Amino acid sequence: MSTAGVRRGLVLGSPRELGTVGLVAGLCGAYAGVLVTASSLLTAMATQTDGQTSAGLMLAVVSTVFILIAVYVSAVVIVNAVDTVVAGRLRQIALLRLLGARPATLRGSVMRSAGAVGALGAVAGAVLGVLATDVFRIVLVHRGTLPGVTYPVTSSFLLAPVATISFMALAAGWVGSRSVLRVTAAQALTGAEGAAPAPDRSTSVVRAAFAIVLMAGGALVLVAAAWLGERGSLAGFLAAFVGAATSGTGLLIGARFVVPRLVALAGRLLGSDPPSRVARRNAVADPLRTTRSTMGLVIGVTLVTTIASGMRALQVSVDSWTGLTAEQRAETHTVLSTMTSILVAIVVISCVISAVGFVSTMSLTVIQRRREIGLLRALGFTGAQVRSMVTKESAALAGTAVAFGLALGLGYGSVGAQSLVGFQTDGFVWGLPWAVLGTVAVVGLLLVLVAAAPPARRAVAIAPVQALHVDR
Amino acid sequence: MTPSQPHPVLSFRDVHRVYGEGSGAVRALDGVTVDVEPSRFTAVMGPSGSGKSTFMNLAAGLDDPTSGEVWLAGQPLHAMDEDRRTRLRRDHVGFVFQAFNLVPTLTARENVVLPFELAGRRLTADDRARIDGLLESLGLLARAGHRPAALSGGQQQRVAIARALAIGPHVVIADEPTGNLDTRSSREVLSLMRTAADEYRQTILMVTHDPVAASYADRIIVIADGRIVGDHPGLAPAAIADLMVSLEVGAA
Repeated sequence: MSTAGVRRGLVLGSPRELGTVGLVAGLCGAYAGVLVTASSLLTAMATQTDGQTSAGLMLAVVSTVFILIAVYVSAVVIVNAVDTVVAGRLRQIALLRLLGARPATLRGSVMRSAGAVGALGAVAGAVLGVLATDVFRIVLVHRGTLPGVTYPVTSSFLLAPVATISFMALAAGWVGSRSVLRVTAAQALTGAEGAAPAPDRSTSVVRAAFAIVLMAGGALVLVAAAWLGERGSLAGFLAAFVGAATSGTGLLIGARFVVPRLVALAGRLLGSDPPSRVARRNAVADPLRTTRSTMGLVIGVTLVTTIASGMRALQVSVDSWTGLTAEQRAETHTVLSTMTSILVAIVVISCVISAVGFVSTMSLTVIQRRREIGLLRALGFTGAQVRSMVTKESAALAGTAVAFGLALGLGYGSVGAQSLVGFQTDGFVWGLPWAVLGTVAVVGLLLVLVAAAPPARRAVAIAPVQALHVDR
Repeated sequence: MTPSQPHPVLSFRDVHRVYGEGSGAVRALDGVTVDVEPSRFTAVMGPSGSGKSTFMNLAAGLDDPTSGEVWLAGQPLHAMDEDRRTRLRRDHVGFVFQAFNLVPTLTARENVVLPFELAGRRLTADDRARIDGLLESLGLLARAGHRPAALSGGQQQRVAIARALAIGPHVVIADEPTGNLDTRSSREVLSLMRTAADEYRQTILMVTHDPVAASYADRIIVIADGRIVGDHPGLAPAAIADLMVSLEVGAA
């Protein structure tokens, strides 16, 4: 049928729009390239020097987990990017429908575009990641930091994450393009701006129930973990892991019920003047988009904070132990802070990927609101008010995500430490890594401003005249 | 053209507006001088590309003249920067557009109240009563808490008119306000503007190409090729239609 003849770029095509997909897949690919290559280097080094392969193997296992987390965050970001782009193309899609294109054909076109760009990004990123790691390795060997044995360029295992990322982009393109199916051909004639999607109530109820059960169950297991830790049971850490994973999954599933409410709540802090009110409403205008554009940030900040907080709580606990020499104390400090740095460096990629996604979503949604902004300008919004409106929307979204992630991470990290060493200290020890908390807050603020600046500049440049006419 | 007896709300003095430069330049307005008197309903007509939209954008302070003077409520729009024009627009101009009139995230009532908030005006009990009265007379009181997406096209347009009238602007500028409406809603919207001019002495400037819409006005200004080619007192729809046809045929 006609499907074969449909060009891939029929619905999407502008590099700007798909740029986010490519960039996110690229970051994810580069990350996989670095981790896989690094673990293959460690394995090679270990086998050729002392015959031990445990470090490389451990890094390989850990890498797999972290790469999967990065892939998940990327998937959320790409789904949101595709959904946002499609939302801005509803009239074009309606026209294509009018001209006879079937919805499934158009959706397939979006999916293939996302998949192709994602695969390209993954391969390019992986190659860059491998090259960077190898260059770094050569420099280290030259300096004598690493032994001069024979190293592989990388490992063939890298094909697995690259394939996973490409498939993820394809699947994310499919999920993100669902709204294509709701566009009718008649919308091209009426020029309607795309009706609000009707949420499916029945699945919402199931989803909410499922999320609540997982969150409550996970929280109970976390409490149990803290209690086990206080008793010195070895099962404590396992319980903490299971509890965090369960409640975290519950949060991911139920995020669309929780996050928009949090954002709306945070939005109230912005003020009640018209720019703040419009900003607040826009931040939660589409709850699903609100959730997707902030969820990656929540995950990233939670991971970083969990590690920093857990390590900090361990350190506080160690500090309270009696019977350690000053030397032993200093040594544990060094080990713990090195581990913290390495682990944070490894998980921070989720923050980077979600930040990229956030900046791009902010940009696209503001571009799509050209007429609304033109109208506001015509009605008397000053340039400064438009700028403040965009910045406040960015602040409501990113600020909520960062604050939520910090709170979750402090909880998970402290419970994790408690489950390990709770019996060594009196009561529950909160790990409060002030330096990391401060850094996350400052970086979060920077993200708010960076995400808001370009769209705000473009929004201010919109001439009020643009609101006046239907076709402009 | 001599200034009319009452002090004009809006004055154009030899206004030119040129888009682009050199051989590709387009003279959207080519020496327009006209006064719009207060408390009257004035229609601006013209074929597509005649410059009527440019005329309206300049009148509302949405665009800058290349040369000439535009006075609104005794203030020189042509000599103001964008920020001052924004404030003048906010405080003294009401807008009704062809479509997409309402901020989608605000309810009908919030849309009506928006100009007050933007002007930093606290709503007095009087203002509230007037807004409620307006919403009621427009049959919108029951729908006031709804977002625009939940309103019909005619209802949205009536909310836009309520918003334009509520703050008591010097002039309401309406650009093809009935362009997207069915016949019945069109008639409602036009009668509404007629009533506003008659009862509240509201100055209204409406751009349209619909002879029926223009027949509701007290005065019809015709623009073609960037110049004013006709200035008529109120006419019947058929007479206006003839006028427009002769203009199109004459140009061909």
